[in-house]
Amino acid sequence: MSLLIGVKEADFTFIREKTNATAGNLSVQVQKLRDAGYIDVVKQFKDNYPQTTCKITPGGIKAFEAYVKTLQEYLKTGT
Amino acid sequence: MSEEKKLTEQESLQLIADMIKKAKGSYHDTGIGSLLWGSVVSIASFVTYLQSVYKFSIGFDIWFIVVAAIVPQIWIAAREKKHTRAKQYDDDTVNAVWLVFGITIFGLSFYQAVIPDATTRLIHSHGWELIKRYTDGSKPEEIVKPFAPSFYSIYLLLYAFPTLVTGIVKKFRPMVVGALLSYIMFIISCFTATNYDMLLGAFTAIVCWFIPGIILRRKYLAGRAAANV
Repeated sequence: MSLLIGVKEADFTFIREKTNATAGNLSVQVQKLRDAGYIDVVKQFKDNYPQTTCKITPGGIKAFEAYVKTLQEYLKTGT
Repeated sequence: MSEEKKLTEQESLQLIADMIKKAKGSYHDTGIGSLLWGSVVSIASFVTYLQSVYKFSIGFDIWFIVVAAIVPQIWIAAREKKHTRAKQYDDDTVNAVWLVFGITIFGLSFYQAVIPDATTRLIHSHGWELIKRYTDGSKPEEIVKPFAPSFYSIYLLLYAFPTLVTGIVKKFRPMVVGALLSYIMFIISCFTATNYDMLLGAFTAIVCWFIPGIILRRKYLAGRAAANV
């Protein structure tokens, strides 16, 4: 999610390279985020190869901001 | 399957910051566009300088290579769009700046080509013309075409504009430095003969585009090699 916050959209191989995740692991995470409505996933073919592009949704941005805020508040209170 | 490591709140925030930095960090460009325009403009400027200083002609207008470079540029842009793996939020903005720059350069070239004859016709219609008179009387007076003095200085000023925008937005220092040098070349060109403006232009194209293009290309090839390891 942090990665997708920083870009307009990114394809699967870019995300895998930057996160050092395995393809299987990443597929599972992408599916979960898509089911939660946090990212949009577009699958298409480029040069006869499948390409998966992910893009964060407005709902995803909101959820991410709320998560970061919670983390920051937790650290501030020191509990 | 190994258990996932549980992160502390501090580690989570750090990871988020690192990921965002990774996503936005590098300027994802193959460098080919910069190399193309850096080469073409510097060659055209340098050949024009040599022709004016050594009084020879290569038989055609060397600036046609700049027009011809549009064809490979379109191919490069289409190919890069196909192979782009991530799109940054500022990509559209930066691309728009370069597009507008290209249109403006074309407009300036159009101005240069059209204005002298158009102005001649206009002033003739008012019953006057421009004359060059030698102050020492060594030669007879000559009729001259209207011209904008040191016109290439304006091109030097313009070359800096998209370069500096790209350098600032993409945090790519070589282009910021190139643009600043371009501004310096512009100032120098205001005080030098037009001959030297072309030499300054060649230098500007090298520092604004060719050298940054080399740096981008090296980064891109290094990144590809690392990804293939």
